[in-house]
This record gives sequence, C-alpha cells and structure tokens, in this order.
Amino acid sequence: MKFGFVRVLLLIAALFVAIPVHAEQRNFFKIGVITELSGDLVTGGNITKRGYDLWAQEVNAKGGIVIQGKKYPVKLVYADAQSNPAAGAAAAERLITQEKVDFILGPYSSGVTLAVAPVVDKYKIPMITGSAESPLIWKNKFKYTFGTIPPINFTGATSIKTLTEMKPAPKTIAIIGSNDAFSKATAEAYKTAAEKAKLKIVKFSIVPSGQDMTPLLSAVRSMKPDVIAFGGHDEEHVKFVKALKQIGYTPKALLMHCGITDKAFIDAVGKDGEQIFGTTCWTGTAKTKSNVLWPNAAAYAAASQKAFNNPGDYTQGGCSAAGIAFQTALQKIGAKPGMDEAMRTKLIAALEQIDVQTFYGRVKFATSGEFYHANVGLDPLTVQIQGGHVKTVGPKASVEAPAIYPMKDWKSR
Amino acid sequence: MMELLPQALTDGILLGGIYITIAIAFSLTYGVMHVIDFAVGEWIMFGAFTGYYLNKWTGLDPFLFLPVIFVLYFGVGYVIQPVIHRVLSGTKGNPFLMGLVFTFGLAIMFRGLALTAFGFYSNSIPSAFSEGSFDLEPLGLTVTIPTVRLVGLCYALAITLILHYLLKKTNFGLGVRALAQHKDAAGLMGVNSKRTGSYVYGIYVGISAMTGVLLGCILSIGAQMGNEYTIFAFFVVVLAGMGYLAGVPWAALLLGLVQSIFMIYFNPSHTLLAVFAILYIILLISPRGLFGKGV
Repeated sequence: MKFGFVRVLLLIAALFVAIPVHAEQRNFFKIGVITELSGDLVTGGNITKRGYDLWAQEVNAKGGIVIQGKKYPVKLVYADAQSNPAAGAAAAERLITQEKVDFILGPYSSGVTLAVAPVVDKYKIPMITGSAESPLIWKNKFKYTFGTIPPINFTGATSIKTLTEMKPAPKTIAIIGSNDAFSKATAEAYKTAAEKAKLKIVKFSIVPSGQDMTPLLSAVRSMKPDVIAFGGHDEEHVKFVKALKQIGYTPKALLMHCGITDKAFIDAVGKDGEQIFGTTCWTGTAKTKSNVLWPNAAAYAAASQKAFNNPGDYTQGGCSAAGIAFQTALQKIGAKPGMDEAMRTKLIAALEQIDVQTFYGRVKFATSGEFYHANVGLDPLTVQIQGGHVKTVGPKASVEAPAIYPMKDWKSR
Repeated sequence: MMELLPQALTDGILLGGIYITIAIAFSLTYGVMHVIDFAVGEWIMFGAFTGYYLNKWTGLDPFLFLPVIFVLYFGVGYVIQPVIHRVLSGTKGNPFLMGLVFTFGLAIMFRGLALTAFGFYSNSIPSAFSEGSFDLEPLGLTVTIPTVRLVGLCYALAITLILHYLLKKTNFGLGVRALAQHKDAAGLMGVNSKRTGSYVYGIYVGISAMTGVLLGCILSIGAQMGNEYTIFAFFVVVLAGMGYLAGVPWAALLLGLVQSIFMIYFNPSHTLLAVFAILYIILLISPRGLFGKGV
C-alpha cells in the first residue's frame, strides 16, 4: 500500500520532469502543427491549416528550404487540438516526444496557444503561432513561443481611432465580447481604445461563447449607441449580425473582429455584411514587397485563390508568414533537420533577430516588453466591407476607399 | 431598466420557442424508446444543411421545403431505428449505457461526415421571414418581435399540438403510450413494438431536421453546430421530466426566460451558470423534473 503511494508520487513527479528530446537524422524538416481541426473553432483551425499548407506546398514546389546549398523539403505532421486547451497541450506533448518534430507551427486560438506554450517551453521546442492574438500570451513571456499576428491591444486601437475620425463623430459605444481568451481580449482592447478616444461606453459585456445574444442586444438597443463593437469568432459574427437585423437596430458603425475579412463571412451574410468595419493587419491588396516565396500580397492571394478558391484572410496569411519566419531563421543559422537542443536554442536567437519583408509585410519579433515575441513589424489596418469586397479605410496612409458612414439601415438594403 | 422588462419577457418566450423545437421530439423518443439520443444536434445540423442547399439550388424559401425535409428524414430515422433497437434490446451488459455510447458515436461520426461534405465555414439560410419585425407599443414601451422568431414560436406550438393530438387522440398514439408504459404488455395487446419504435424515431428525426432549417434562418449553421443544441435539448428534457412531453414547453420557456432576464439585468457572462444553477436546484427539489412526472 505504502509502496503504491510512493509509486503514484513518483509518477506525478515524472509528469513535471521533461525528458530531453533526442534528435533524429532526417533529410527533411519534420514540422508539427497543432490546430483546431474539430470542435467549435474548426473554421479558424482549418484557415490556419490552409496557411501552413500553402507555405509547405510553395516551399516543396521549389525543392525545399535551401540550407548551405542543399534543399530540404518540409513535411507537416498535424495534431488536432479539438478546440480544447487540454487536448492541445496533449497534442503538443505527442508531437514532441513521439513524432520528434523539429519545431511547431501553432494553434488558431489564443486559449489553446496559452495551453501549448508551457509545453513547448518545457521541451525547448520553438513554436510560431500564425494566428493567436491575445496579449496574455506575450505578457507571459514564453521563451519558445512567437507569433506573426500582432496582439489585439496593438491592432484594435487603430479601428477605434478610424471611427472617431468619421463625420459626424460617434459619441457612444457598446462593446461585447465572447467569453474566450481572444474575444475577451478584443473587447478589452476596444474598451481601452474607446476610453482613450473619449467615447462614452454605454455597455461592456462578456457573453458565453456561441449564445444567442438577442436579449442582450435588445438592452443595447435601448441605449442607442453610435458604435457597436464585437469580439468573437465566425459563427458568432453571423448570429450577431442576424440578431441586430431581427431587432431592427442599425448603429452608425458596427465593428467586428475577427473573421469578417474572410470571403466566407461575406457570402454567409450577403448584403447585411455591407459597411461592417473590421480590424486587421493584412489584406490581399496590401502593398507589400518580398523576395521570399511570394513577391507581394496580390501574388499570395492569387495562389490561395488557386489552391482553395478563396483569396485568404489575414489569419491564413499570418500562418504562411510563420512558415517564412522559420525558413528565414533556419537559413540564417544553417540548421539541418533533426536539430539538437543547442541548435534549437540558436534557432530561438535567430528568430529574435530576424527582420524580414514578406508578402505579409514586415516580420520583426519584439524581444522585450508587453509584446515579447509578438510580431511588431506590421501596421494595423481598419477595413470595411464595400460591394462584397474588403477595403482598407484607415489609417490615412493605407486608405483604398473612403469609409461609408453612417451605416445604411438594415431595412433599406 | 424596468422599461426593458416587456422586451426581456418577449425575448425569453421567443428563445423558449426555439428550445421547444429542439427538445420536444427528443423527449418523445426518450419516453417511448428510452434512448437518450446524443445525435439530436446532428439531426438538426443535417436538416439545416439540407434546407440550405435546397434553397441554394432552387431559390425558393426554405420554409416551403419543411414537408419535404420531414418526409426525407422520417425515412432516414425509420431505417436507422432497428439498429438502435438492436443495441438497446441486448441482454448482455448495460443496454441503456450501450444506447448512450452508440448515439454518442453516431454524433461524432456525423460531425466528421458533415465537415467533409459541407466544409468548415459557418453559414446562414436566407428566408423571406428573416426580414422585418413587429413593433408593439404597450404603455408607451417599445417591444420588437422579429418575424422569423415569431414563426419559430408558432412552429414550436404547432409541433407540440400535433404531437399531443397524435398521442392522445389516435390509435397509433395509444400504442405509443402503451409501449412507453410497459413494452411487454403492449406487445401482448397487439402493439408492434418494432414498427411503432421505427415510426416514433422517424417522427423524431423528421422534426429535428425541420428544426434545423428554422435555426438556420434565425441563427447560423455549421458542421459543428449540433453539440450546443444537444446540450440544450438535454437540459430542457431533464427539467421537464425525462420523457414527460407536456412538461417540455414549460421547461423550454423557463430556460428561455432565465437566459433573457439574466442577460439583460445581470452579468451576461454568468447566463449559463444561472441556467445550470436553476436546473440543479429544481432537480434537487424535484428529481423527476418540474412537474414530478419524469420517468
């Protein structure tokens, strides 16, 4: 009995001790991908998958990553996080200890990323998430985790600023966020920016994910806010727009993040999507220039259209850019497949130093402060759906079309 | 804030209407077959996508297809029921538990199939009813009733009344009730349990599929949408009393009202917590549901 108790204690202790990951000799890079391929966040998970796949296809089409004159193809090994942080952490453990991957391309959601990051830190395996946006990830200062999309507190303020420059300027705002790490952070980022812009916040609510928000929106309607801002995921956005239309309330501006820049959202809500504002850091029409894989944003959008019949959104682009960041860092240090711990440490140092222009824009990871290891090389954009297309309407330097404001009433569309 | 009360109650009742549609047939199939079908959300999802594609291909309003969808999915349920019956009528192990595991497996398989067949994007079903709403002004207060949600409530009440009539006023219903009470005795009285079970399961799948179309018009559709509805169907049926059909509308309306009032007057992030708390308190006081008439 006593011996059994000791054994249990030993087993528990073993869970907290990382077994060193030994390198395997290979002539290709084996890359682990943890993302949400089932569950509530399956849409975002598959968008990240597309981004990673497109990068791998493009690299392999060129024969692989060129390291000291030799080409090494890449092979992606997927693990499903099931939209569940615990399952994501278990998947990371499996990819590292059993699949012995060289490095990891990370999850779609911030919640899963926050669960996976301690695992990759424990095993000293580099990871770049091409999607997660919660500031919490970077505040935790995980040594082995990087991200190509800037955190929402870095990007969100731009959209609020764009809205405050409208004529007549909005005075009041209602902010709603879905109750998950990313959406909550989005709502909080909008709140901070609105307070700074002296907008009166008439309502700030966090609601359980996936719920019908009609009763809450009825309450919001009675406060007649000029702007409604919502942080959530794709299916929640569809429900949100439909609920607003059903109760017959059209604010002067409706701001949503993330996923409204995807063609699928525009297809789902049709004319009701018109004039909705969004926050992003990349569009298929962004003026970018690069020497790596795709020469500019338009070339990437065309490649994506050809591969998936969809030009891709900023999440998909961020995931392809994550691949490019790894590729650039590997070339810089001359790393070959089957890296040992010393080489992986070098890779982290290289990632901290890279400053590369990609189709996605500049990738430059912060090495200190609240954005530690997040990409701070991009300029946030405010976009609006106009005529079924996503147009950049702010900041002034990036404007493609003037913003349409106030929003056209649902009934007169 | 009291001026919002009429709107809160209206929203709650309309939300309750949605919950009735999700739970009513689920309760029927438990009452008769004693199977908790964890795939209820997936039948809703399949119905929603069928409505979506029929609308896309023909351009006609999805509500026109409800009879077609009912007949189609009645057929599917009728064909599948013998398999479930076989699982439930085993003599070894725990047939009830096997039924749970079997339908849970079906749900996972259906979700995977849907992801492959329909893709991973969320979508919406357009309908003429989606446009517009009724504005009432009692005592100078504005109450908005969205047309599509009112249609949903009418649909829920119609389904409830039809099922009530079917069970209480027809020979088929007499057989169903006899079967629910005592399978062996009903068999001795000439009720064909296999065929009646297949009819009931067919009706349940057909109603669930029609509900999917309605939900696609009010909310959104996606391959993973089922899980959420399965949970709510389960809540409503447990609250009503397992298998007690007459309790379903009241339990559904109670849940809808709790959600609506909590979202408007309290912290919206605790809405589901409130729903759970009320469910547990009621079950502690009355383990057989709101009316003490559950199985």
